[in-house]
This record gives sequence, C-alpha cells and structure tokens, in this order.
Amino acid sequence: MRRPFRHLPAVAYMLLMAVFIFLPVAVLIQYSFQNGMLPVPPFKGFSLQWYAKVFQNDRLIAALRNSVVVGGLSSLAATTLGFLAAYGLARTRPHAAAAMQFALMAPITVSYLIIGMGLQIVSNQLGFEKSLLLVGIGHVVINMPIAFAILYSQLGEHQANVERAAHDLGASDWQALILITVPMLWPALLAAFFISFTLSWDEFVIAFLLSRFDVTLPVVIWSMLRTGLNPELNAAGTLVFATSIVLVVLVELLLRRGRRANG
Amino acid sequence: MAEPLVRIAGLRKAYGELTAVDGVDLDVAAGEFVVLLCPSGSGKTTILSMLGGFTEPDAGRIEIAKEDVTALPPARRPTATVFQDYALFPHMNVAANVGFGLAMHKVEKSERLSRVTATLAMVGLAGFGGRAIHQLSGGQRQRVALARAIAVVPKVLLLDEPLGALDLALRRQMQEELVQLQKRLGTTFVHVTHDQEEALSIADTVVVLNKGRIEDMGPPRRVYLRPATLFTATFMGESNVLPGQVAEATANRVGVETALGILRSEGSAAPGAAVHVALRPEQLAVAPAADRQALGRARVIDLTFQGNHLRCHARSTNEEGTPLLLRLPFDTPIEIGNEVAIYAKPTDAVVLTR
Repeated sequence: MRRPFRHLPAVAYMLLMAVFIFLPVAVLIQYSFQNGMLPVPPFKGFSLQWYAKVFQNDRLIAALRNSVVVGGLSSLAATTLGFLAAYGLARTRPHAAAAMQFALMAPITVSYLIIGMGLQIVSNQLGFEKSLLLVGIGHVVINMPIAFAILYSQLGEHQANVERAAHDLGASDWQALILITVPMLWPALLAAFFISFTLSWDEFVIAFLLSRFDVTLPVVIWSMLRTGLNPELNAAGTLVFATSIVLVVLVELLLRRGRRANG
Repeated sequence: MAEPLVRIAGLRKAYGELTAVDGVDLDVAAGEFVVLLCPSGSGKTTILSMLGGFTEPDAGRIEIAKEDVTALPPARRPTATVFQDYALFPHMNVAANVGFGLAMHKVEKSERLSRVTATLAMVGLAGFGGRAIHQLSGGQRQRVALARAIAVVPKVLLLDEPLGALDLALRRQMQEELVQLQKRLGTTFVHVTHDQEEALSIADTVVVLNKGRIEDMGPPRRVYLRPATLFTATFMGESNVLPGQVAEATANRVGVETALGILRSEGSAAPGAAVHVALRPEQLAVAPAADRQALGRARVIDLTFQGNHLRCHARSTNEEGTPLLLRLPFDTPIEIGNEVAIYAKPTDAVVLTR
C-alpha cells in the first residue's frame, strides 16, 4: 500500500529547521532591498539604493579593503605554516608526534575572546600598538590549526607512497616536495586558504579587541549598528554573507576534486 | 654461481614485538627473476622495502653490484620499485610519469622523449603518452607503473605484489608479459607475492619465507616437487603429509614407517627419527603399476568433478583412518562409498626432516 504522507513529519521537521536557521538571514537580505528609510516591516518595494550607498561609503569601502588584506595575508600565513607543520609531522614522524599534533590543534578549543585578550595583553606589554597586523596575527592563531588539520588528513599512506616513488626515481627532498607533494595537494591547499579566509572575513571579537583606527568590515558594521537600524547595514551584511557563501561552495568543490583525483 | 648482483646478509627488522625479518641471507644473480613468497604479513614486503631503501634494517647489510647500499637513500640506489598501489603521479600525464626518473637524472629532453616512447611501446602502451592517469584502467595503470620503473634502467627492479589488484585473467596475462619483459631486458627482478601459482609460473628462483626466515629456495619445480621443509610442502599447494618414523636408512635412501606402511624414498635421516612424508594429491593413484607401491585401502568419502580431474577425499581403512586427498583422472570409474586400493611411486614421496 502506498502511503504518500509517510515522510510528512520528516519533511516538516526539516522545513522548520531551515526556517529557524535561515529566516533571520532571509529577512536581513529582504530588507537590504527596502524602498524606505527603515529595515522593518512593512516591505515598501524593491530598491537598490542602499547598495549604491554602501559603495559610496568610504568607511565601509576602507574596511572592506582592510578585511581583504587581513584575510588574504593571514590565510596565506596560516596555510603555509599549517602545511609545513603537517608535512613535517607526517613525514619525519618525530617521537612526540601525538603531543605535537595536540599542541598544534589546541588553539581550536580556545575561545576567540580569550585569544584576543591574550594577544592584547602580550602586545601591550611588548609596547605594540593595536593594529591590523595584530588582527592578522590573531587570525593566524585561530586558522593555522584548521589548515593543519585539513592538510594533515591529505598526507596519508598513499600520498607517502607516491612521494616514495619520486625519491625512488631519483628526486631530492625538495624536488619531491615541489614537483609532487604541493601539486597533488593544490585542491587541499586552496581549500585551507579559503576556509581561513572565510573565518577571518567573518571574525569580529579578535578584530574588535586588537584594532584601533583601521578596522575590518565586521567591526565597522558593528559600530554603525550602534547608531540605529539602517537598510544600508542590511546591504553591507548581505554582501558579507554572499562572499562567505561563495567561498564555502568553492572550498567544497575543491575538496571534492581533491578526493576524486587521489581516490 | 658467479659473483651475485645482490647480496643480502644477516638482514633483520623488527616492529616492536613483531619480528618481520629474522636473519635473512640471500644472493641474487644478475638477470635472475626471484620471487619472494610467503603468507601475507611475513616480512616479504619488508625485505623489498629494505632493498629499495625505504626501510632501515635493524641489522645486516645489502650489497648491490659489490657496493654496500645499506645506508644509501632510495634516490642513490640502482633499484626501482613498482608499488602495490602503483603510486603514480596523478597530476602528470602518462609520458611525464614515465619520464620523471629520467628528468631527475638530468637526461636531456629529446633523449628523454625517445626513451619514454620506447618504454611505453615495450609495456604495450604505445600512443598513451598524452593520457591522464585517471583515464586509465587498472591494468593500464599497472603498465605505467612498470614503465616508469624500467625507464630509469635499474640494475634491480623491485615488484611489490604488483598484480594483486588485477582480476584473474588479467593477472595471468600480466604474469606472462612480466616474464617476457624480464627476459628481454635482462634486468634482475625481485618480485613479492603471496600467490603460490604466480610464484611457480614466473620465477627462476622461488624463495619461501615463513615468520621472517627463509624456509626454502630453489627453482619452482624443485621447490614444488621436493620441498625442503614441512611448511613448504603444505604452503606450496596441497599435500598429503604423513607423520612417520625412520625405520631404515642407507647413504641416500630412507624407509619411513607410516600409517600407510613403509615408504622408501630418497633422502637422509637418522634411524628412529620422527619425520614427515609428503605426497601430492596427483601422486596418489587407485590403479596399480609396475613402479607403484601399494599403500593399503581407503574408502571414498567425497568426490568433486573439477573438469580435467576428480578431487577425491578418502579415509584409509587402517586403524588411524588416515585422511587422504587425491587428484584422479576425470574418467576414473569411482563412486562415493567405494573402497579402493591406494598406490604411489615411492620415489615421489618427499621425506621431510624439518
């Protein structure tokens, strides 16, 4: 007997979950197109005026540029350091490998607030001014463990065998690294970079604690929020969200490609 | 034997409690096809890995062409390995894979290209140079791995269960091709497998390993027909192994008292010693002949038709009820429950003192 409504509870539950997760974002996006002064109901019609305002707002544009620079450079550093740590740990198998892996991954368990406060105290004592450089260092601290975990998982026994084959055919350590390991790990390296970038792009607490005059996008949006609701902020938020979504999809595609190529 | 090309002496390797290689001495002549054979996990791959330079031995030394290579890294050894998982470079095409070793040895580009083309032709992949690795079948990947290793013209080619992942028909075909390729190149091959039939069909010399030690080594025919130890007799195909006691002994003949009577065969053992006598299933017969000795009677308890022969389980009518396995001609007139007389050539019997 066919029971067309058998899956109804499951489907309903899934829809509820989706509404719970995405409704606030959907509303934020909807009112970024508000044809009026306030991002609150009623919706008065479709308009792109707030997006135009975002792109004319020097503070937002400067913050956008800062976010790209901090995200790009800190992600590059986190990916490079994470790769070197993963490669060294996987290939030389030092005595305290498990302890080292634990130490490398440990920052993941520490809250951003603690990392930000710690960096603030240390930089204060060393006499460093708050700056985007400090924000970038903070983002390396939070992203390096993630890059390490992604890359370490790709350096398993099959990958080791391929590197052995390269050595067997006369390649030096450097040649094997540059000609074999890095090209084979390209998808994973890019994935690590973009995940780092996405997290840096969205990160508020560390960026807020460690910056002063030059700030990143989330910090500017927060400071603008204090002066009241404004559809321009909805538009800025929508742009931040859209960028994150594009990066996450990119990462997923890259990791899939990596799995297929090495599978 | 002339001066061996590969000389392994006192090789030993343990992983924690487990001793993978326990004092192996082995000489390999130039141009020889040697197959290391043992049940999986008994150190054959470890020996190969130490030959290739990927695993450091705990003790012992390895010489290749009179040079001590024990401490040399893989890149500086005159060996090349065909890996079990092929370990091809997935981001390079077939030609770049095969030419990689030549590039590392700084062979000039035009010569490299012509050698890659020639090597690909040799393994039956002419015209495949531009293909990507993921476009190839398992058998083709296997050939690329082979071509990549022989392209650098190693003195010794190491093959780590290279045919393990292929289906049976392709495996048989590749075995023949490997033998032809080895004869053509004249390169020394050291091949590792756990497949007895593969070892027997491709090797010049079979080395049987058990628990990290060499049990037996020699030409396949000798190892199969006159195994040196009890382990070899049971591991290399099926055998009827009868425990017995040496009743009479002359210079090179012994008579062993077994449950089936006294079997007289070649060999040497002290009178009174406890030994085993091995007879292959095809060496037992149910019909008398001039050179066959009667071994009492047995009852047929199971018969399986296997095309070119009958596989027959029988139980001797003696007190012990000794179980016997026979391979009889397919047209033998015999039924389950029949009582038959058992015969064998005494010279076929192998007396095993170890």
